[in-house]
Amino acid sequence: MEECGQSLWREAWRDLMKRRLIRFCLGIIACFFLIALYGEIVYRYYQFADRTPSYSRVNLSERYLPPSPFRHPFALGGAMGGGLWHGVKALTYRPLGTDNLGRDVLQRTVQGTRIAFLVGVVTSLIAIPIGVLLGCISGYFGGWIDDLIVWLYSTIESIPGLLFILAVSMVVGKGILGVYLGIGLTTWVGLCRLLRADVMKHRDRAYVMAAQSLGFPPCRIIFRHILPNVFHIVIITFSLRFPAAIGTEVFMSFLGIGVQGEPSWGIMIGNARLRLWQGVWWEMAVVSAAILLVVLAFNLVGDALRDALDPRLRSKER
Amino acid sequence: MIPMVFGVILITFVLFNVVGGSPASMALGKNVSPQALEEFDEQRGFNKPLVFGWWTPTRACLKRDFAEPILLGTGTNYPVQLLFPLRSDTYYRLKIEVRATESGSTVNFHTGALTALSAPSYEVSRRWQWSEFLFKPYSTNSAGPGLILVSVVKGTVEIRNVRLERRMPHGWDSQLVHYFATLARLDLGTSLSTNEKVTTMLKRGILPSLALTVPIFFGSLVLSVVLALICAYWRNRWPDRILVFVAVVLMSVNYLVWIIFGQFFMAYKWHWFPIWGFESWGYLLLPVMIGILSGLGANLRFYRTVILDEIYKDYVRTAFAKGLSPAGVLFKHVLPNAMIPIVTNTVIALPFLYTGSLLLESFFGIPGLGGLSINAINSSDVDVVRGVVLVGAILYVVASLMTDLCYALVDPRVKLR
Repeated sequence: MEECGQSLWREAWRDLMKRRLIRFCLGIIACFFLIALYGEIVYRYYQFADRTPSYSRVNLSERYLPPSPFRHPFALGGAMGGGLWHGVKALTYRPLGTDNLGRDVLQRTVQGTRIAFLVGVVTSLIAIPIGVLLGCISGYFGGWIDDLIVWLYSTIESIPGLLFILAVSMVVGKGILGVYLGIGLTTWVGLCRLLRADVMKHRDRAYVMAAQSLGFPPCRIIFRHILPNVFHIVIITFSLRFPAAIGTEVFMSFLGIGVQGEPSWGIMIGNARLRLWQGVWWEMAVVSAAILLVVLAFNLVGDALRDALDPRLRSKER
Repeated sequence: MIPMVFGVILITFVLFNVVGGSPASMALGKNVSPQALEEFDEQRGFNKPLVFGWWTPTRACLKRDFAEPILLGTGTNYPVQLLFPLRSDTYYRLKIEVRATESGSTVNFHTGALTALSAPSYEVSRRWQWSEFLFKPYSTNSAGPGLILVSVVKGTVEIRNVRLERRMPHGWDSQLVHYFATLARLDLGTSLSTNEKVTTMLKRGILPSLALTVPIFFGSLVLSVVLALICAYWRNRWPDRILVFVAVVLMSVNYLVWIIFGQFFMAYKWHWFPIWGFESWGYLLLPVMIGILSGLGANLRFYRTVILDEIYKDYVRTAFAKGLSPAGVLFKHVLPNAMIPIVTNTVIALPFLYTGSLLLESFFGIPGLGGLSINAINSSDVDVVRGVVLVGAILYVVASLMTDLCYALVDPRVKLR
């Protein structure tokens, strides 16, 4: 805690980069982020061109195509005729197969990535400002404001989480807005509680008293002086709530009250589950693997961030 | 404790009454008469003001905002068609937002066969203004719903807004008070889809839910605490590293994926377990296993941190130094001292047992509260969702009180005053 903010961040970054696994995870996250961006561009393009997107176009003559390596196991060995080039072409056509309506699984997974990242980012943009604002205010001012905010978050906390999210989105209406609001408005409690406790500790430190005696307004003290010192909590919370939000979105879309009419991962799982019994395993496998990769990468990075940024934990575990 | 219960009631009120509004059209379908909707609202108290108010809108004439104001010349009428007969036991008021396009314009109201009242004509100002007309319908009103005429006596006027409101017998006769009153009678309402009392549905669903969640809870508690002790003993060596990594992987697998793969392979492909149903304890084995596995990762990591907090303390070193066995030290010395966070985590998780596991129940056909709430959410069955949320939250509040009491049991330093 004695170091100044800058060096703590830099040291944390160096710590992260020293670990090969974490570099690998950050790479995975970056890849998925680029895929999500690509998905967004494709989505925007089809919206702009006002056509049925290729990922939801039904093509009944190509139903249930297995992934290309299973269709043409020896394509590169010249089994397709016409040499290597034909083999490569055969392998890159519908590389991950098609679903029950002949839609390309790879393209749909890309769109699912887009929706998952959108949900992760937007719900964080809703939940984190609420948590930061309420946590800082209640920790700094104390008194009746603190009582009120503690009452508010302990009330929200007492409601069974997943059910609360589902209820909010049921009331808002089916669709992605319901997902955003349901997850965003109910998951700020943990951050708020952590920040409140930390801000309370900082409130009586010398630098805050110095700022107070200089006559700075509370707003400036909270956001310019205290918040940078507790900001690592926000970063850690973000990296750990992102995968949780993705998981919840999958769950909601699977139940049919989440994203409507777009290939979200939850909708793909719901679709693939019915075909699994017929031996169509690839859609299920691809989506499960994608979710596992993203969530695992985020969880590992989040843990590493916590170890690197939270000095109290660091002193204990090493 | 009381403020939190109050808060939960308020939040459900805001969620379902203020934001959600009346579920009448969702419950009854698209093509129903406004009268049926009004009766539905009357039964469930949705036709009252939200918190406080003397006037409430009625479905006999829906609130109308005209995008383009309606222009009326001298001698013409604007008919306000009523969709069903009004009640004769209270007053109504018709409000119109009106302005005159030339000065000196006057309007008056005719209620036809509805009442004996007819308002005297009055002059309309040049600015937009609300003007209202108060009347009480006849008690014997056989001439159909009737209509109210807004007629222009002189000049031309424009109408922008029309609404009809009913007077409440009391200002506090509101949805909030109605809600508290029904809760005070321990009435959680009736289901929209099955017309059953929510309380009986909850009572019926709680046993199957507990049969599923209690084994999951204790299984995962024992398993994760034991594994966490193992981790802590070999901290930062390979058993710990592997277990922690496996825990993160277990945490990262989506719950849906657990269920689908478990059901597909273990029940369908390999016939180890029955696939679907709730007939004997054998049907619970697979869901319980999946439940334990999916929760294991997070619990293991939490308990590991808790135990690591203890294991660096001096008394542990002393115990090892005097030659006690690792198991003895871990279970007799470390575990009791790590009990406080474990008890907190455990007791606080207890109320969530009651809601059951939303997904496990609907996948494995266990007729518990989880499956019930999923169905209710899918069919927008507000009362059932609200009932489950309310009871779950109140149980949570009670459990957090129990946690404080349990502290005194496990930690002699904590004294209850």
